[in-house]
Amino acid sequence: MERRRGRRTSLQRLAGLLELPQDIVLDMPRITMLGNKQLLVENHKGLIEYTGTLVRIKLSQGELAITGSDLVIGNFQAEQLLVEGTLTDIKYDV
Amino acid sequence: MLTLRFTNYLHGTVRARISGPMPEKFINLCLARGIFLWGIAKHNDDMFVSLRLGDFFRIRPLARRSRTRVEAVGHAGFPFALKRIRRRKMLVAGAVLFFMLLNLLASRVWFVDVSGNKEMAGERIAAVAADQGLKPGITKDGLDLKKVEKEMLLALPELAWVGVSLTGTRAVIEVVEKTLPKAEDRSPAHVVADKDGVIIEVIAIAGQAAVKKGDTVKRGDLLIKGFVDAPPAAPGQVPIITLPGQLVRAGGIVKARVWYDSYGEAGLAEEVYRRTGRQTVAVTLRAGGRELQVKKAPAQPYARFEAETVHKKLPGGRNSDFTVESTINIFHELIAETREITAEQARDLARGRALAAVQDRIPEGVQVVAREVAVLKTAEPSIVRVKVTVETIEDIGRTVNINQQ
Repeated sequence: MERRRGRRTSLQRLAGLLELPQDIVLDMPRITMLGNKQLLVENHKGLIEYTGTLVRIKLSQGELAITGSDLVIGNFQAEQLLVEGTLTDIKYDV
Repeated sequence: MLTLRFTNYLHGTVRARISGPMPEKFINLCLARGIFLWGIAKHNDDMFVSLRLGDFFRIRPLARRSRTRVEAVGHAGFPFALKRIRRRKMLVAGAVLFFMLLNLLASRVWFVDVSGNKEMAGERIAAVAADQGLKPGITKDGLDLKKVEKEMLLALPELAWVGVSLTGTRAVIEVVEKTLPKAEDRSPAHVVADKDGVIIEVIAIAGQAAVKKGDTVKRGDLLIKGFVDAPPAAPGQVPIITLPGQLVRAGGIVKARVWYDSYGEAGLAEEVYRRTGRQTVAVTLRAGGRELQVKKAPAQPYARFEAETVHKKLPGGRNSDFTVESTINIFHELIAETREITAEQARDLARGRALAAVQDRIPEGVQVVAREVAVLKTAEPSIVRVKVTVETIEDIGRTVNINQQ
């Protein structure tokens, strides 16, 4: 765990030095929200669970749980996932 | 976004119901295969997704692996529209027929108009154009406008220029006619006096002057003779033959002083007429060749009246000879009033009347040398009489053909 964190921070430093986008270097999702209406997750790893009130998205580490009402997945592709509806909570589990 | 929607329409889209214990697994399998899904929604236990028609045939093995059941519930897009159209062949045939007919009718000349002709008949120009192939019903493709213009110009020597232009299905032939000089009258003629006067200048351009400066002439007197004598034989030479004189068309400028007399009078008590405001209106309606009296008026509505006529015309359509016209006659009643004026005013009035009367007889543009106004002495004190004499210098020559028996 310690070693892994060390690698991560050095990578992060390198990315900062070379001015590379950190989400590419670190393989992390980029999450964009439009108010409480839309949520766009880029670089996701798939869908774990989907109901009208809960969407769980698998990430490279952990998962993202979105709760709300009338949730619809507007767009589902390999690189991006768009959740529409009325969002109330976003929980990040590592 | 628009291009995405367009490609979706082109490929056709299917709305599918996915039922089973783990629809999420199916979705992830689709993701792994690169199958694009959108509009994922859950109603009760069933999940609904949209996908492309091509992808819909690839998901059968995925459904089996994820133990879900896939069922198409709706479809949209071009392939389905095409399928519908295939069942309605006559509709397509009608549309194709419509466009073919439209193209066929638009590719022909249906009207030939001629414009710019003044003396020549338009029918004649159109007939020549028809000989060159430019007539209603001809296809525009086979028409060589430049050649038609050239041939028309050759066929009609009275034309200076011909331009043919096509606007839609209408061919417009614009022509410019040659303006030929008028045939000059070359028959022998004399110049005679048109008015009485005293000659002040004679310039004979052709013929022999019959009068000289200072002569007094009467209307109709000969001024320039249209006859030239034979040239005299040189002195000391015996004339071999005597040449007869020659008749020519005389021409020249003969300037003379001309006097115009005029007379005007004005009473000290002038009678003037004024409109009373009362009026009678008669209306006649004319449509085509028929006349209709809408409102009649007596022939003599008032003791003294002034008539005013107003014509009103309905703007007819083009090519229409049918005109609708109304004639409105307004009769204004007049009242006579006597107005007292001073001797001075009466003289001016009389002078003005006399001048106005003489002005009609003096041709326009002549040089006025003198203008005399004389008040005539009369026994009647209530009337002023004025005599006006205007002296002008003008060309009094008038060409008169010599009668040849």
